[in-house]
Amino acid sequence: MVEPPTDAADAADAEVIAASVDDGRAFATIYDRHAGVVFRFLVRRVGRDVADELLGDTFRIAFERRRSFDLDRPSARPWLYGIATNLVARHRRSEGRRLRAVGRLAAERSTDGDDERVAAVVDAGERWPAVVAAIADLPAGERDALLLYAWEELSYEEIGTALDIPVGTVRSRINRARRRLRELAEANGQERIAT
Amino acid sequence: MTDEREREHEPEHDPIEPLRRLRPDELQDAATNDPWILAQERDRLMSMIEHLPVEPKTAWRAPAIYPRLGYQDERAAIEFLTRAFGFRERVEARMDGGDHVLAWLEYGDGVVMIGHVEHEMHNINSPREIGGATCMLNVTVEDVDAHHDRAVAAGARITMELNDAFYGERRYEADDLEGNRWHFGEPLDSVKRRRGSD
Repeated sequence: MVEPPTDAADAADAEVIAASVDDGRAFATIYDRHAGVVFRFLVRRVGRDVADELLGDTFRIAFERRRSFDLDRPSARPWLYGIATNLVARHRRSEGRRLRAVGRLAAERSTDGDDERVAAVVDAGERWPAVVAAIADLPAGERDALLLYAWEELSYEEIGTALDIPVGTVRSRINRARRRLRELAEANGQERIAT
Repeated sequence: MTDEREREHEPEHDPIEPLRRLRPDELQDAATNDPWILAQERDRLMSMIEHLPVEPKTAWRAPAIYPRLGYQDERAAIEFLTRAFGFRERVEARMDGGDHVLAWLEYGDGVVMIGHVEHEMHNINSPREIGGATCMLNVTVEDVDAHHDRAVAAGARITMELNDAFYGERRYEADDLEGNRWHFGEPLDSVKRRRGSD
């Protein structure tokens, strides 16, 4: 078992990555700090089986590109999200399957059971098939930004770092996605009134 | 990051809010980390970095049986168990829920899960709460004398001094901070070999 250098424990990610350029073993600290978060992100996006595969790829790519990490950024997390997002792009089919599975789950949850979480999703669960379709239809860049924002709770600035785009572009992508979801909700509301 | 969000959109009118609640792990049981996948990928990454042969993919998997221990202060327990007994935390797998954490500690091919006491779903109590332990945890170590000295130096309460047992094991026992009893042993033939080579 390889132990990271002990003095790395308190160092910012940027320092650790800088150290890992000469001594690759330091990179273990980056893995230890972020692998769990990256793994859960991948499970959300592409499901468990593909996530297993992409977790290792994410960190191997990160290690190979560690020299290009912007050392002015204290945290490596947005950068790792970006690498993982690029890998997700190669698995659109798994992503679609995952979204549909979550859609079915939401629909089931909204019709049975009575715990609090269910109550919270009932409303959205009813129109979930339409929401799933809308998310699946979004241009990839909008979907990536939207889900980093909604599911991973990254700030616009962090999303910009992750996707390597200006913050203004993040804002416009998320606003476009937001508009589309709102139109959908309004259309659904009108249907309900009409029937 | 939150002030940006609040400035731009009132949460209740934000059409992204329903989507947030539909995050996959809001619908299913909270997606726990898989410590074995995380450990396996860590080993593979480090093998690549150090140009070592990659271990077979089955190097890490969940033992069929492994315990989960509950502590009133699980952070202190993790700190103590790693320092006094030399357990290694799979830090990449730690689930930090703010108030409480769930951690996996390994030693050799063994693993224990460490969390907060849990009275609702799993009925996991700390010996400190109920006035006694309900199990003893057995650990096979490579050098039981060195292990003992480390535990003593860390202030562990030794409940059985080092001794050679009739069944062929050199052993000692110690309690952790909340009264779980840990039994550490090394086969006597290993002790002999070790001493012979000193």
